[in-house]
Amino acid sequence: MALLKTIGLTRRFGGLSALSDVSMEINEKEIVGVIGPNGAGKSTFTNVVAGLYLPTSGKIEFKGQDISMTPAHVRCHLGIARTFQLMRPLYGLNMIENIMLGGLFGKGHSLKIARKGALEMCKFMALKDVERPISAMTALEIKKMEIARGLTTEPSLLFLDEVMAGLNKDETMEIIETVRKINQQGMTIIVIEHVMRVIRELTHRVIVLEWGKVLCEGAYDKVSSDPRVITAYLGEEAEC
Amino acid sequence: MKYWKYLIFAVCVLIAISLPKFLGVYPLQILNIVLIYVALALSWDMLLRSGQMSLGIAGSCGIGGYTAVLCTINLGLNPLVGILIGSGVAAIIALLVGYSVLHLRAMYFAIVTLAVTEIFRILVRNFEITGGPEGIILPNAIFKGDAAGTYWLMLAIGVFTIILSWLFQKTRIHFALTSTANDEIVAASSGLNIFKYLVIVFVISSAIQGMVGGAYAQIYGFVTPESSFSVNFTLLPIIMVLLGGTNSTWGPVIGAVILTVLAEALKLVIPYGHLLIFGVVMIIAIIWFPGGIIGILRKGGVQAHH
Repeated sequence: MALLKTIGLTRRFGGLSALSDVSMEINEKEIVGVIGPNGAGKSTFTNVVAGLYLPTSGKIEFKGQDISMTPAHVRCHLGIARTFQLMRPLYGLNMIENIMLGGLFGKGHSLKIARKGALEMCKFMALKDVERPISAMTALEIKKMEIARGLTTEPSLLFLDEVMAGLNKDETMEIIETVRKINQQGMTIIVIEHVMRVIRELTHRVIVLEWGKVLCEGAYDKVSSDPRVITAYLGEEAEC
Repeated sequence: MKYWKYLIFAVCVLIAISLPKFLGVYPLQILNIVLIYVALALSWDMLLRSGQMSLGIAGSCGIGGYTAVLCTINLGLNPLVGILIGSGVAAIIALLVGYSVLHLRAMYFAIVTLAVTEIFRILVRNFEITGGPEGIILPNAIFKGDAAGTYWLMLAIGVFTIILSWLFQKTRIHFALTSTANDEIVAASSGLNIFKYLVIVFVISSAIQGMVGGAYAQIYGFVTPESSFSVNFTLLPIIMVLLGGTNSTWGPVIGAVILTVLAEALKLVIPYGHLLIFGVVMIIAIIWFPGGIIGILRKGGVQAHH
């Protein structure tokens, strides 16, 4: 049984079809990449599956359960976590408190247990000086903190929405290593990225979206040499 | 040791309890008013920490006041019991209202709370059982008007509210409120049931306001539509919180103490002069120190967490 299954998933915003009849299956322990040009619907896909938007039509099945209309916080309890494309730290809380959020409300732990879990997560993500306010953190640390905040909800499925954006080579390698480690512990991960090197290194399988529809899917090498994908990203060859 | 804070607080409470020994009736009555506004200001801030602003403090106060008086007069209940029931009724109404409208945010929610206040004010003015436009006068004020007794009652309510506000900053409610105020999308994605916590906080906040309203009615011995649902109960605590500093326990307390004492002192000199001061204070606070007094202390390096 697939961990996540979308059947004909459609999301319209007024006249714009951000997602059109998207059907896919994600199996446990996979790292699946979702790529596509800007406006393809990658973030909308994350938002709809995570529960920020309800689908206009179609179905989402998670662990065999229909979650199409389930509220976002309940989907978190069921095991879906995500990071955000534009970093969204909670400025009223410091680093460790941000991370504790997952344990407190995702798992319903007490303050003590949530804090303990958050501290362990900080060790795992190599985050130091955990009482710092957000204003004293680097971009890489904030990204790691957001991943940690998602992980403390103990999800089965983790969406990483363009987490590598703005990172240099070393930082990107560090996150890639961390994602591998998380996957080795049994986590299913959906990686939305523009950086192709990350997709090539990390993912078992790639799904390509364009104009809200699934263009093709398969291993990275097959997909990256598919002429339709190249056209989607680079446009058609000019008639000279 | 973190506990020195609580020790100092305990000592202050003990000193406060002993004040009737040293103070006359008039100062004690002033302290009553201070405590009323301390509790109201704190209760308003407690909801504000979630990002939602209530304009319905007067509504909960009025509901609490009328309920307490009706319990005493019509049901013959002990005035203290009447106050508790008043608090309970205010809480229940907040539950019903909150459950219906706390999917709304910001201005829309604020206006609903304002509307509910007006609805209840008009209701009590138009029914005989609530005394119509003239309201109801109690045959006896609580404790027969004994200054010390009424002071201790208000002190209990004030201390209770301060402790509650502290708890709101130390328990998981702090995380719920702060994350809701900062970023609802992140909060929901992390598993927080925002609606549930907003309703809980709104109910608790209204329960405190109902308790204060009930105590106010029992102490002064009467309820009328205009005085029990007075706009002062809504506006003044807001100004006090703005002056003292939002999102803290000591901010509302400082703001309430300073402005109440100032107002009472000014009343002796200029009738209604205190209204002028409130307006001026609000303008100054908003323009120059929007963080309130606590904001200034925080910037000045004094790490005041609460």
